Amino acid sequence: MVTPTTNSGCAVSSADGALRKPRFSQDPSSRLSNPQNQAVRRTREPEVPSGMQSRATNGLKDDRGKHLEEEFKYKHLSLLGVFVWILFLHVVGIYFFTRGFLLTRMVLENKSSCDVLPFSDPLSSQPEHSTHGGCWHPKSFDKAIVIIIDALRYDFTVPFAPNAEVENAHLFHDNIPVLYETAVNSPQNAFLLPFIADPPTTTLQRLKGLTTGTLPTFVDAGSNFAGTAIDEDNLVAQLHGAGKNLVQLGDDTWHALFPGYFDPNLTRPFDSFNVWDLHTVDNGVNEHLFPLLASQNYTKWDVIFGHYLGVDHAGHRYGPNHPAMAAKLNQMDQTIRDIITKIDDSTLLVVMGDHGMDSKGDHGGESDDELNAALWMYSKKEIFGRTSAEKVLPPKYAWERFVPQIDLVPTLSLLLGIPIPFNNLGSPIEEVFAGPSGDDWSNLVTVNRLASAQIKRYQHAYAETRGDEGAEAQSVGLWETAEKVHDSKPESPVSVYEAYRQYQRDTLQVCRGLWANFNVPSMLQGIGVLLAGITLLVFYARGLQGDRTELTAPFVSRVSLGSVLGAVAGVVLAGVGATELKVPESSALMAAIGSIFGASSAIFGSPQRVSIPLPNSLWGWLAVIFTLSQSVGFASNSYTIWEDEILLFFLCTFGVVAGVSSMRQESTTDRVLGVYHSIVFVILGRLASVSRLCREEQMPYCRSTYYASSTSSTSAPWQLAIPFLVMLILPTVVKGFYAGSKSYEGAASLWIGIGFRLGLFVTAIFWMLEELDGKEWIPLSDETLKSIRVFLAQLVLGLAFAAGTTGFIYSKPCVSIDVAQSATEPEPNRPSSPGEQQLPRTTVTILGFGNVYGTRFFFLSINFCLAITLMQKPMGQGAMALLLWQILSLLEILDTNSLVTSNSPIGPTVLGLLGSFYYFKTGHQATLSSIQWETAFIPLTTVKYPWSPLLVILNTFGAQILTAIVVPLTALWKRPLQLRDTNAASPSTQKPALKLISDVAQAAATYILYFATINLATTMWAGHLRRHLMLYRIFNPRFMMGAAVLGVVDIVLILFSIAGVRWSTLSVGEIFGW
Amino acid sequence: MATLAGPPAQPAAATPSSSSSSSSSSSSASANPKFAHPPVSILPSRFARIYALAHPALLLSLVAYRFSSVTNDPVAELLGDIPFLVGLQVVFVMGCLPPAGGERDSNSAITETTPRKPTGPKRRGHGHSAKVPSWSTGLASLAWKLTPALLSLTLTTLLATPILSFLLVLFGAPVTTHHALTFLCAAHMALLSCFPLIYVHGVDGNVWREIWGAARPTDAVWGGALGTCFGAWFGAVPIPLDWDRPWQAYPITILTGAYIGYAFGMWLGRVKGVFGKRINFAPGPEQVRDLKVE
Repeated sequence: MVTPTTNSGCAVSSADGALRKPRFSQDPSSRLSNPQNQAVRRTREPEVPSGMQSRATNGLKDDRGKHLEEEFKYKHLSLLGVFVWILFLHVVGIYFFTRGFLLTRMVLENKSSCDVLPFSDPLSSQPEHSTHGGCWHPKSFDKAIVIIIDALRYDFTVPFAPNAEVENAHLFHDNIPVLYETAVNSPQNAFLLPFIADPPTTTLQRLKGLTTGTLPTFVDAGSNFAGTAIDEDNLVAQLHGAGKNLVQLGDDTWHALFPGYFDPNLTRPFDSFNVWDLHTVDNGVNEHLFPLLASQNYTKWDVIFGHYLGVDHAGHRYGPNHPAMAAKLNQMDQTIRDIITKIDDSTLLVVMGDHGMDSKGDHGGESDDELNAALWMYSKKEIFGRTSAEKVLPPKYAWERFVPQIDLVPTLSLLLGIPIPFNNLGSPIEEVFAGPSGDDWSNLVTVNRLASAQIKRYQHAYAETRGDEGAEAQSVGLWETAEKVHDSKPESPVSVYEAYRQYQRDTLQVCRGLWANFNVPSMLQGIGVLLAGITLLVFYARGLQGDRTELTAPFVSRVSLGSVLGAVAGVVLAGVGATELKVPESSALMAAIGSIFGASSAIFGSPQRVSIPLPNSLWGWLAVIFTLSQSVGFASNSYTIWEDEILLFFLCTFGVVAGVSSMRQESTTDRVLGVYHSIVFVILGRLASVSRLCREEQMPYCRSTYYASSTSSTSAPWQLAIPFLVMLILPTVVKGFYAGSKSYEGAASLWIGIGFRLGLFVTAIFWMLEELDGKEWIPLSDETLKSIRVFLAQLVLGLAFAAGTTGFIYSKPCVSIDVAQSATEPEPNRPSSPGEQQLPRTTVTILGFGNVYGTRFFFLSINFCLAITLMQKPMGQGAMALLLWQILSLLEILDTNSLVTSNSPIGPTVLGLLGSFYYFKTGHQATLSSIQWETAFIPLTTVKYPWSPLLVILNTFGAQILTAIVVPLTALWKRPLQLRDTNAASPSTQKPALKLISDVAQAAATYILYFATINLATTMWAGHLRRHLMLYRIFNPRFMMGAAVLGVVDIVLILFSIAGVRWSTLSVGEIFGW
Repeated sequence: MATLAGPPAQPAAATPSSSSSSSSSSSSASANPKFAHPPVSILPSRFARIYALAHPALLLSLVAYRFSSVTNDPVAELLGDIPFLVGLQVVFVMGCLPPAGGERDSNSAITETTPRKPTGPKRRGHGHSAKVPSWSTGLASLAWKLTPALLSLTLTTLLATPILSFLLVLFGAPVTTHHALTFLCAAHMALLSCFPLIYVHGVDGNVWREIWGAARPTDAVWGGALGTCFGAWFGAVPIPLDWDRPWQAYPITILTGAYIGYAFGMWLGRVKGVFGKRINFAPGPEQVRDLKVE
């Protein structure tokens, strides 16, 4: 804590934070006169803070100070270069792993055509059908209206049936009865079935599946924000090719997928991402749909695709169990009834959900509730049938008699008389082709033979293109069996039907497995880069002796040299054709490898500087155990599922060990403070753990508390009190920590007492208005309320980022300096040294000296804490407040246990644990569906790039971002200010600012090391378990989360934390010299 | 009981933490606190030597024998086991360990340096019996040893068990449910770890400050206590696994871990190279401080 000569006073000074230069600390009078005071009285000496010295007498020192300042700025900048390189390695490693890991499927450009039947034998062509109109099969309808009610879950549509999990009907039950009624009352006119989606259950992926009949692959999930046109053969293209006039109303995702296919005069797309708006899209669709159904307009179109989003948005915003959902479903019910009355006999009406929603109304993953949608078809002609009596009623539950969503593709194709799209893997739906009396087996055989033949043709083409007979060979035997049964013309066609059916379903299974087609070499390249990066990071963070800034210059130059050489080599390799990688990929990979060699030579080039990075204290081992045991745990789905509880366990362990360690401290102050903060740390963590959002796999051992109920995504009324409590308590808590070192001076009172509190107050008002929205308690229109909310939110963000950043750059340190000229109090015990002059004494009292670096830098954390708090739901705001408090307690623990000055790895590691822990406590899980997309609309009314994704990131990774911001504090909190002493010489040790950024770099590297290890572990486990049943459900989302967190943390550290140290150190240096 | 009523002004019932902080000044005043509280050895009698070995084995076999019934009805079984555990532990502490103060008497070098200890009267009283070893097997001695045992038992129930229950909750035990199980688990752990500690050390503030700081020199008692904590910590590891075994239910694995850790710690604490050693948190500062002290 203090300079080496005063070790005996170490503990006391760390507690009271007083400035004592070596020679004064031996002077008891200065302490006794002010025992509890953080102030220090110094008699005027030749070396008082340089900022207060007269320039004339100290021109030489000023020059030296200026030189040191320049050196600091330069070293700081090159240090950022090191971290940019670390980021680069992470990006390259993750990219190459992802490239090989996220599933890819070859897209064939082949199209089915009307003239070419899928059969190879000419005999089976059925010429009479073409006379009926229709290509491969006689068409049944001329027109179709396809209504997609986004997120229409199957249990919304059937009467509520109690089961083990749900005993009483929810608000979402029994509100859209029209589908069930018609299917029961006139089974020949309508049927209703569960309609199972293939994950991922995002709308764009689902539309691809629903129109092409293929299985989506995971890599496409990321393109939901910027949809790309579908190249493969699909329903819309076939309809368009058959000369039908297509109209699309609603969700504009369709236009991203099928540009140019729809009638530009009749089509009305609507923005699909504003999930807080329940009505614009639905009312817009209705407004344009019903005029088209009027008799004078009935001839203007052939197929209408209407895509309603209200149900989905109600789910995202409120959760399914909410009156808004009931109202929305009722509206849909009425809409469908209205459409029924308007259509004619030759029009087919299809209503379906593209996916379901989980218990909170979100989707994207592959839990049962997300997969279970509903499919209902209706016609005024009696055409639908059931092959047996037990199939007459729609199934009670979604897991009975379901059909895969891709089955819609062949069914609609054959009904409308167009060819089955080339790449379809679905089967014709039995109820549609069984005939009104349910015994038209020959028709069923015909359509299934067509579908099977097309599947076989596709398999063959795919295998040829890939040069691999795997998929075809696996199921082609079943096709031949089915053909044999067909040719033998058995008595009952049922067996033929069954045989074709078996072939289709079997192929579907084979394809599901096959398209888990991993590029293992690319995965290994990625893992190799990540592993090398971690190894170097371990040495950089924990194995370097002495000052990191001395290493920086050769480090950066060698890394640059290595990467440039590597990049050139990569371009050459790709140019020569020695690798199948594209030029940018190859040069990036080679640049990464080259820079790894450059960095190794810089680090290991001077062996006297490197030591084996093994922990040398219990704290070091604790950090290693926490990181490694968590990493090993990710091999198990259970430990991945229960990560939040495990993190609580580790944090509590740290708190207990910290308490035990504090009991060992010699000084009473250190002991009492340490134990107190350890207890506070543990209790706060346990308190935060009350905030939970359970993932499906945690059931039934978990109860969600984040929202009002487990089937909602709104807050309970009592939770609205949390933001106000945060506003009242949190600034006071922060003030207490500042006051503990007498640092509540200067800008601190304005910043914490007024700015921070005001921001939190506005945040609380915002969330109150937000939750009241839709309840119509306030006599203002929705638009007015929304613009008020947007204004409030922008106000808070402006306060946090615009005003906060400006303030952070220009603010003075939190000290108060009082110079008293007349103070000539005698100091009897003071040893008179020979060189001392007996001048009139000037007493300089500096309050807040003991924590000048820490309190100054902490302003940055307050800015980010405010912005992140705004972006959280009320429960998450409480969690963020607890996080800030825990961080402060942690810093005090580190200080009282002398872990700040020893650069222990435990501080950054526990910050990493805290970041991960509070990720879960702010209503997130390692699943795609837990992303709170709607938070993008807190300060905005529409989607705006790049702000909307940034806002979602601020919500999702808020905890990790805040802990990344405070990482430098593990080296700065109550760091003693080392003033240069003119008498003590040895210039090499006289650069405290460089030592400071070296320590900050070490802390930041250790923090990254935690997340990089987690990322490498999740990456390797996901790669290793790539055939695991739970891959998509558990390991893949965790890998994606780990990679995203690592990238976010790297960038935040570079752009804000380490960069911020520059301003805080400059501002301290300006006052106290260099 | 008469001996206990003796302590005049000292607040004998003060909680260890508060007494430790109040006694901190005295510890820094004493010449070398490191050697003020030597590790506790097992009593030299034949019974003590044999039973100290048999005791962990007996406890572990109790665990193994009752394991299946614990999984069937944990609350009833854990409650029903407490008398057996108390019995075994009482036999162990009374038969194998010196009661509070006894150890220090035998080590006469420092007897006079700590006259203000709350355990003073007990220590003196026991000192007489220690001088007459032939009585140690006698009925009177047993009855006499019963007093500190009963007192330790009371403190274990009143203080250690609630504290441990609270710790269990902090580590993630359910707050709203499973109260009986949490409490019983804490009671078992307290009987294993705290009961012998209190019996041996009484409420001596300096010793308890060492215990809270995990700075005790290793011996069978301290090793057992530490082992209980470590065992319980590791016992939580299998709980989240989705093996669907009945024994994964809270708190069975934690208690099993605690028992195994206790037995292992007791054995390890007496191993020659380990006995008397202390846990070092950070070697660097510790060494610096040692230098300062000398």
